[in-house]
Amino acid sequence: MRFMEARPDGRAVVYAHIQSDPLVLRAAELLADASTTQRLLARAAMNGESTDPGRWRTMFPVLFGRSAPAPGDPVRDRSEAILGIALEVADRGEQARSQFRGAIVEALTERLLAERSGPVRRERRILFDGRPAEIHPYDITVERDGAAEAWDCKWGARGIKGDVVHQLDDARRGAADEGERLVVGLVVFDARRSCEVRLVRERGPVALEGLKLVALEGLDRLAGRRPA
Amino acid sequence: MPPTVADVLARARAAFDVLAATAGPVTDELQYLADLETVWVARLRAVAEARGAEPAPPGAEAAIDALEAEAAAITDPHRAIDWMSTLPQVALAALGEAG
Repeated sequence: MRFMEARPDGRAVVYAHIQSDPLVLRAAELLADASTTQRLLARAAMNGESTDPGRWRTMFPVLFGRSAPAPGDPVRDRSEAILGIALEVADRGEQARSQFRGAIVEALTERLLAERSGPVRRERRILFDGRPAEIHPYDITVERDGAAEAWDCKWGARGIKGDVVHQLDDARRGAADEGERLVVGLVVFDARRSCEVRLVRERGPVALEGLKLVALEGLDRLAGRRPA
Repeated sequence: MPPTVADVLARARAAFDVLAATAGPVTDELQYLADLETVWVARLRAVAEARGAEPAPPGAEAAIDALEAEAAAITDPHRAIDWMSTLPQVALAALGEAG
């Protein structure tokens, strides 16, 4: 098993600009140390219609209500910063915000994984002897001898599709055939319940025991932390 | 009289139904829509059975007002599908419940 740089196509070149946008990097930084409710705020506001921060503050009394930490408290400041950046993403227009959201989930995943392991790489292929290379690269890989990982990142549960599940499972089995261990999984910035029902329908013949699912509520697991 | 947890959850369910109606034209996702309804309605019902008679916590009624307004503003069926996953979680968070 070996990892290889993916040859960038036109889409990848355009997408690389979004991946390196300061907005994406700031969002990932804020979300890396966020609570589950703060991450839920980000998901809701980035995917919402309203760009009125007042509506979102009202919707999340745990973060902004009378019993929430007061302004000036670091937790409250993080909630405000997350809301601000989520509305910036939402304000980019439908197509752009979709790309930004995907890039943010990838950057967040990279950051969390790097807290636990490494080296962490983006957009890599995994090659196995005697097997044709997959067309699509994996979003994030951990290329550590004896403890390699491959992750695909999705903004929402609807992004879980059969071809993605099969590609991850093929990689896991390819590694096993070579006597190596490769952890494979999906990181989805969406509710675990929604991801589970989607995955069960899309998995086809793939056994789910070999595939990790990290949903919005469990993102801290990527960093080796307990969920906040 | 202040609303109860059951009152807030009933309104969350109604807002969820609004989203489901908006999402309906996406016919290739009908199975997923049905699955979302199954798991989220069950979760809302479980919380209602456990805590329904309690007064809703401060801010929960205003939160559900805002959630209803957001759900009603969504006209894109694909976004409505995404929100069918998010709305119950937000409503539960306002009640101090995990998704």
